[in-house]
Amino acid sequence: MTQRFHTGDAVRTRAANPEGHTRLPRYLCGRKGTIEAVHGVYPLPDERARGIALTSCTKEALYTVVFDGREVWRERSSEPLSISADLWDCYLEPERAAK
Amino acid sequence: MVFLYGRWRFARAGASLPIVPTTHDVGGASEFGPIAREAGEPPFHQEWEARVFALNRRLLQLGLYNLDEFRFAIERMPADAYLTSSYYEKWFLAIERLLAEKGVVP
Repeated sequence: MTQRFHTGDAVRTRAANPEGHTRLPRYLCGRKGTIEAVHGVYPLPDERARGIALTSCTKEALYTVVFDGREVWRERSSEPLSISADLWDCYLEPERAAK
Repeated sequence: MVFLYGRWRFARAGASLPIVPTTHDVGGASEFGPIAREAGEPPFHQEWEARVFALNRRLLQLGLYNLDEFRFAIERMPADAYLTSSYYEKWFLAIERLLAEKGVVP
């Protein structure tokens, strides 16, 4: 699986999680963030949780994505606050820079 | 750990697949109130908790299940059991469920 994103890229997490295990928490669904670090390629836990063997499961790029507190918690966010999460490639979509 | 038996039984392997609850995914929910922090919190509050911890390490090491399957087993707990079980009670119930599903125990 190719690495689609690089440090500094703007991304948006998928709007909703599929049924089953995933490492994207609900509070980070549909949120805009920035790639903070690229860790290399790791087995996709969503598949490993279903008992798919290490040898046959999907491997994807893993990133640390940083989110602004206001993007996640809206007006309830402390200021200043940021939250980082380690997220797999398929949880993310590119976010257009210009609006 | 006797108190756990029969109280919150998971559906055994072979039963119809339930809709997976998302009870565990409560990050950011404020209705549970603040998290109480215990000063000088020990690793374990009861001896059986340490045994459950060790049991899980060993079963993972033996490859009977992987860490993601273990996490998913906790997430598959029925909502009422999830919300009323302690941290290591959840671990124990997940281990019990996985061993049953994989046919290690009847």
